[in-house]
This record gives sequence, structure tokens and C-alpha cells, in this order.
Amino acid sequence: MSYSLTLTHLYPDRLNLYGDGGNLIALKRRCEWHGIEFHLTELNWGDRALPSQTDLYFMGGGQDADQLAVVDDFHTLKRDAVQTDTHAGIVFLGVCGGYQLMGNTFLMGNGDQTRGLGILNAETKAPSTQVKERCIGNLIAELLPPLSDELSTIYDPSRPVPKTLVGFENHSGQTYLGEGVTPLARTLSGFGNNAEAVYEGARFKNVFGSYMHGSLLPKNPHFADYLIWLALVQKYNDPGIRLKALPDQEEWEAHEYFVQRYVS
Amino acid sequence: MNRLLLIPIIWSVRLLVLLLKVTGRGAGTSLPGLLVGRYFPFAFAALVAQIPYIIVVTGTNGKTTSQTMLSAILEQVDDIRVLRNRAGANLSQGILSQLLRQASPWGTLDATHGIFEVEEATLPRIAQMLRPNLIAVTNLYRDQLDAYGEVDMTEKLIRDGIAQCPQASVVVNGDDPRTARLTHQLPNPTYFTSLPAEYAQEVPYEGQLHHLDPNFQSFLRATKIQINDDLTSDVEVNGRVGDVVVKELRITITSPGFFHVYNALTAITLAKLLQVSDAAIVQGFRQFQPAFGRGEVLEKVKGDKRVYYQILLVKNPASFSLNLDLLRSRPSLKILFAINDNTADSKDVSWLWDSQLERLNDAAIQWLMCTGIRAKDMKVRLKYALTGDRAPTLLQSTQVWESIREAIEQSFELAEDGDRIYVLPTYTAMLEFRKAMGKVLD
Repeated sequence: MSYSLTLTHLYPDRLNLYGDGGNLIALKRRCEWHGIEFHLTELNWGDRALPSQTDLYFMGGGQDADQLAVVDDFHTLKRDAVQTDTHAGIVFLGVCGGYQLMGNTFLMGNGDQTRGLGILNAETKAPSTQVKERCIGNLIAELLPPLSDELSTIYDPSRPVPKTLVGFENHSGQTYLGEGVTPLARTLSGFGNNAEAVYEGARFKNVFGSYMHGSLLPKNPHFADYLIWLALVQKYNDPGIRLKALPDQEEWEAHEYFVQRYVS
Repeated sequence: MNRLLLIPIIWSVRLLVLLLKVTGRGAGTSLPGLLVGRYFPFAFAALVAQIPYIIVVTGTNGKTTSQTMLSAILEQVDDIRVLRNRAGANLSQGILSQLLRQASPWGTLDATHGIFEVEEATLPRIAQMLRPNLIAVTNLYRDQLDAYGEVDMTEKLIRDGIAQCPQASVVVNGDDPRTARLTHQLPNPTYFTSLPAEYAQEVPYEGQLHHLDPNFQSFLRATKIQINDDLTSDVEVNGRVGDVVVKELRITITSPGFFHVYNALTAITLAKLLQVSDAAIVQGFRQFQPAFGRGEVLEKVKGDKRVYYQILLVKNPASFSLNLDLLRSRPSLKILFAINDNTADSKDVSWLWDSQLERLNDAAIQWLMCTGIRAKDMKVRLKYALTGDRAPTLLQSTQVWESIREAIEQSFELAEDGDRIYVLPTYTAMLEFRKAMGKVLD
């Protein structure tokens, strides 16, 4: 059977900092390589979102003024549809500024706390005295179970898959997860969500947030495949769907080199 | 009074620079300015006040090139004596260091014109000390993201800097929406530069191309651009700078790529505001030499095989995308990507994904090679960028050598006698590459 997926990029006109376009490139090319028809749509400032139109949402970070500008727009034109979708299990990925925005509150560059989009039960606060500067630098983390175990089972035949995520973080806000939200990974090098605990990223149903740039998905092809797989399972309502393993030699060489460099 | 106080400072600086050189701790391009700026802050103003004309160049890309072009033009004019800061030494300590080094033992400066490239965020901090007569802003792109996440903030800082100099005339890129609007709320007379739309639209500006109104705005436009095989360009310039009409001014620009035409237009506009003749401008461009790493050609010879390496520095998504654009029309293209992640390069390699490597897809590529600390990440970027029937074999044959020295050897082996290899390095990879080729900085 031939599959197709639709990816909706939220606010590409406003939230497009930090190489997050690499995540879209990775999803597009990997879908092609998996033989999955791929469609990309955009929802910009002023566009109204409708439920059940997409299989994946992606949102990146932006400059302060732009992040602030999307909050009201989201609550008026997009929140109901996106919440209906995410509660139904549609995949959503937010990175860095996008991750912070997804929470109940997030931090502006000037230190002001602002209402978030409310997709994820999380708060992003101003750094305490513990964190003197931005959390900035290379970030390596190990995926937590059950996700880390599930990764190898999405392929036919199943195969061992590294459990690490690698990327680069650059944020001053400190993110704390609320009830019902679990961290994605345990930090091995760098900060992740906040400087107090050793966790990176968040998951609620199929909603994911991460501080990793780099870009996240081409650097971590297993996680990219996992999102594609989740979206297929959701769309075709078939948990038995399996992906073929792609020859990801280049990706894993870059990934391994990076892990070796910072975690020994 | 102040000038007398300068004398002991100048002598101390001379001693310091000598000590730095003798002990091999640097050339004194920064430390003297840092110390004097901190303990004798009056020195900056006392030195600058002696220079009748001050010209400041800022912006994301092209500061050094525009400054060097203007300097080459002004050197053609009798009675003009130029003082300029060194490439990249563009923070206040770098500028002060240069002033201190050029001052006579009696605290005097002989220059008639000071041309300073100033780092974007530094402008508001030193605008009042420099009191420039002319300010040029080349462009405003997203730069190394771990240094400046916010282009909005950079735009604001530059506007604040200009606002402190209401007497200054301002030259801006008229196609770049961010620079074109810089002086909208300010009294400064403003002059614009512009390229034909087919070129301007290739530049990854932040926002929609700005459109100039010829009835109200004073601008210079490159009306004809011919890119030559060696990547130099022949350009015809028309327009006006205030009351001065520029008609069919023809120059040759030795910097590679049409985006350097913007820098040339900036330099010409500044020169016209300083009443320089067309003849001196044309002659200035003949004398102009691009800064190292910007189109520089190095040779490697072994036996009777000679291979040329042309270096095209890439430092952010804009310069990477534009250089690829320039190369894609070249026949049998051979590219060596040299990507480091040291502080001066950006530690975050996310910018590789904002750079439009996809522009290579209609190029006649013979081979590609990746080197530098992040060579493997570069290959991943290529894997996701290349499409079409040839992509798998091309990627398969793309060698990865972390060592730049090794990559030079291997690329030399791959090349044939007389071949030209384009090297696209980040800043520290460029320094490493030049060093491995036997070039050291003065």
C-alpha cells in the first residue's frame, strides 16, 4: 500500500530562526526515501487552522517580536483546531523557541513572562541565580524508555538503533514540565530543559518539544523516522506499519563523531 | 592639553607593541586599545578629533571589502591620506589600537580621512566618539546565530548609532528591506545602492525586496553586470548621488561574485560624497586587491602538475548561498567545503541548513569533498540537498577528510594539471587552509 503524509509548518513567515528548516528538509527527503508521498503546507500569521487537515505539525523558533505576535493569532485562529488534532494523537514537533511557545507560559528575551500556546503543560521561566548565562553549547542526551526501546521496533526487520540525541542548544529560559508531560531524554552533556535537572525535551501524547538545533532531525535520523512512523500509524490507524531501514551511513558517522567528541 | 597627555600613552603603547611582538604574543591589534580605552578614555576622542573626515562602514557582510575599495579609491587622490583599521579589528579596542599605532611620538595623526569598519553592535557605543561624517550600512542578514540571534536587535542598534550622528550622511543598501528603512524616522540625508532585480532577488534578504522611487530617492544602480570566467565582474554604474550625476561609469571588480557589486556601489557613493572624480574611482578599482580569503587564488605545484585553489569565504547562510549561486554556472565544478566550528565560525552548525545547498542541483559538478572539524555534518547536508539521478553516485564519491592538510593532498590527487578547485571555508578553516598552503598572516 502506498502512504502519504502532510506536514504543516506553523508560522514559517515569523518563526524561522536557527536552521530549523533542516527539520523540514529531513522529513521531506526521508519520506521520499521511504516511498511515502510528502506534502508540505504552511499556516502563517492570519491563516485559520482547520482540524483533521494534517498528519504532522512543525514549529520553529523566532525573534522575540515575532514569537509574541503569533500568540494572539494562535489563540484566535488556530488553537481549537490544533488542540483537537493533538488530543487525537496527531504528531506535533516544536524546537527551541517553538518548544517554549508550546507551553502555558514562556519567557521573552527581556525577561517578561508571556502567555504561551497551551499545547503542552509546561512553563518556561527566567533563569534562577544558578544559571548565570544562556544555556548555550552542544547538547547530547539519551532517549528514555519506553521510546528508546520502541525505536528499534518501527523497522522491518527490527534493528538496533542508537539511543542518543545530538544537537546544539541556545536558550536562557528554563523549562519545567507539568503533570502528564514526560521528558524525552536524559542529558549526557549540556543542559537541556533547565539547569537544575538532567532532562531534555518533552512528550505529551504525540506532541514533542526539544531544545536541539543542529538541525535536530537530520542529525538524529532515528527520531525523524519515529515521527514519520507515528504519523503513519495515526493516519492509517495501523500499529503494525513498519518502515524499511534506510542506509543512514553519513548521518550516523556525523552523529557518532559528535557523541565521541563530548561524551567519553 | 589632551594632546600633550597623549605623548606618554603613545610611548607606552609603542613599548607594549614591541614587547608583544618580541614575546610572540600578538601584533598588538587589540590589547593596546583595550588598555588605553579603559584607563585613558579621553585618548580616543583626542586622536579622532585630529582626522577631518571620518567614514564608518558597518553591516553583516562586506564591511572589509567596502572599506578596502574606498581606501583604494581615495589613495588615487592627491592630498588625501587614509587611515583605516585592520580587517576584522572592528570593535572599539581594534579601532583605538590602530589610532595609537599610527600616531606620531608627539601624539599627532597625519590622516585626512579615517575609514573604519565597525562591528554592528559596536556602532551605538562609539558613534559619538567617532562623530562620522559618513556612515555606510552594507546589508543586514542573519549572522552566526550563537553570536546574534536577533536581526531585529542588530537593526535597532545600528539605527540607534545613526541617530547619535544627525550630521552624518548615510549610504545604505537600497534593496535590503532592513537597511533601506534605517533612516526613515531620522533627519540624515540618505543615499541608496541597488542591483537589477534579477540579481537582487538571489540575495537572501530578510523580507520583501525594497523598491526605490527614482523621483524621490538618490541612488546608484549597477545597470550592467558581466561575470567573467575568473569570477571578476565588469559593471556599468548609473544614477545620482545628491546633485552629482553618475553616467556610464565602467569598472572592473576583482572580488568574486555579483554581491560584491553592492560593496563597489557603496564605495563609489561614499567617494562621490567626498567629491572624487570618475577617473580616480576607475583607477582605484584597478588598484584594489580583495582581502585574503575573498576570491584569493593559491597554487599548489608538484612536478609538472599545477592546481589552483580559489578561496571563497563562507561565514553565514547569505554568503554560503550567494557563493554557491556564483559557482553553479561554472563548468566541471570541483568544490572543497571546509567547515570548522570554532568560536569565530559559529559553534552551532545549524546555519548549514539555512544555507541553500540545493542551489548546486543545476550545477555541472565534477566532484565534491568535505573537510574541517565538521566535515561529516557537511556531507550530511549535501546528502539532503542533492537530488536527481546523479545524486547517489556523487554523494558516494564525496570524500571526507577531517584534516585540512590531508584534504589538500587528496584534492590535488583528484585534480588534473591546470584545474581550478573552489574552496568554501569557514573563517578558521580558511586560516588553516592558507597556512597549510604556506600563507601566513602578516
